[in-house]
Amino acid sequence: MATRRVMITGLGAISGLGLNLQNFWDGLSTGRSAISPLDFPIDDVKISLGATVPEFNPDEYFTASELTILDRYSQLAVIAAQEAVNDSGLVRGGSILTDAATIIGSACGGKHTDEATYEQLYKKNRTRAHPLTIPKGMPSAAASMVSLHLGTRGPAFGLSSACASGSHAIIQGMSMIQSGMIEVALVGASDAPFTYGLLKSWDALRVASDDTCRPFCKDRSGMVLGEGAGMLVLESEEHAKNRGAKIYAELAGCGMTSDAGHITRPDILGITNAIENALHHANLYPDDIDYINAHGTGTIVNDATETEAINRVFGYHAKDLAVTSTKSMHGHALGASSALELVASALAIYNETIPPTANFTVADETCDLDYVPNEARHKVIRAAVSNSFAFGGLNAVVALKRYT
Amino acid sequence: MSLEIIAAIIAKTTNCKIEDVKPESKLTELGLSSLDTITMLFELEEAFDIEIPNEVISSIVTVNDILGKLNDLDRSA
Repeated sequence: MATRRVMITGLGAISGLGLNLQNFWDGLSTGRSAISPLDFPIDDVKISLGATVPEFNPDEYFTASELTILDRYSQLAVIAAQEAVNDSGLVRGGSILTDAATIIGSACGGKHTDEATYEQLYKKNRTRAHPLTIPKGMPSAAASMVSLHLGTRGPAFGLSSACASGSHAIIQGMSMIQSGMIEVALVGASDAPFTYGLLKSWDALRVASDDTCRPFCKDRSGMVLGEGAGMLVLESEEHAKNRGAKIYAELAGCGMTSDAGHITRPDILGITNAIENALHHANLYPDDIDYINAHGTGTIVNDATETEAINRVFGYHAKDLAVTSTKSMHGHALGASSALELVASALAIYNETIPPTANFTVADETCDLDYVPNEARHKVIRAAVSNSFAFGGLNAVVALKRYT
Repeated sequence: MSLEIIAAIIAKTTNCKIEDVKPESKLTELGLSSLDTITMLFELEEAFDIEIPNEVISSIVTVNDILGKLNDLDRSA
């Protein structure tokens, strides 16, 4: 069945690499890692590194009144969504944006808000919770706040699938446009996981590196948390062309699977099926792909499994592919990572530049692909794939095509 | 440190029988995934009121390795 083609016409990013899309791309294209010692060390938290948004002052973006109802993850979502909309050339109040869908993923939701209230109740023995705890902290708060700030009145909801939340949100928007339900979707994800409770909980999983994030390297020692939001404006091809919109890339297809297996250990079959499904859905052959933005967390298990999956799907072509993990630069911003990585992939196609895998030393013997170590590479990318493999075995892969 | 306590924690984590947990048993053979191992270490930290550093995980293969690490930690405490 022929479906409508979907274009990416606007991008926004706030991340460890900086406050906006330009900062994001400047960092990625120069191989700069935003991972650094946390400037708010907590005595009994072992995690000491992160990629936090630098020099972020919410007062520069929102009024005091607005901030009373904006959790940090909603702040990041609104800022990146506003940037994506500005980038697209759409305007608030116009019928196009008013009718747009708003689908915002998050792995964690408003944990800053929840934990602040729980600390008052459990630790300080206060008897009253703040009345805005629920609307500010709920996992759909960012979707509501983006809709409210941008004036988007179409279908709107939050979505959560751990580290694949952004990819699933983007796929949902793409599907709605393909089906003819809507013309424009504002999609992406946001996460702000640097809270005491979440840091202690990540500590307990013993997967965080105390060195840095070195995906696919022999001396890799785990993931490094990040925070941020990545947002995209998606649009039907006809709509984008009629208004002369800038088109970064075509959102060509997707593959989604569930491992139905272990809650944390990735499954090679689930991963390979997701990649194959994305290629099939996008009418692409393995040989058509020039770049893979890998899930690439820097953990022992993920990087070896992902490499094996890429070898299985792409066969002889695997060695010709550029495979990079931008988590080495913006950190693992959980649900937001998958959205940031799709933003990175669209920029890579548009700017004909493959962002590298930063912090690279020596490849592991289980990792035998071209990971573009440390320095970006100029290349015309015909098509790209962005991988997201979430805890719980929830896999989402998105395929992009250069639009000509 | 007691083998019985460790065996009970492993059995609870993996649903294996306590009597199957021998000092020479490999954790993978007892059915422990990496997440199970981390959960078991948490239970051990709680049971013995100790802190097991991340660095020891890669050197734990058998039940005996756990006993050895716990004894090392006990001596250094």
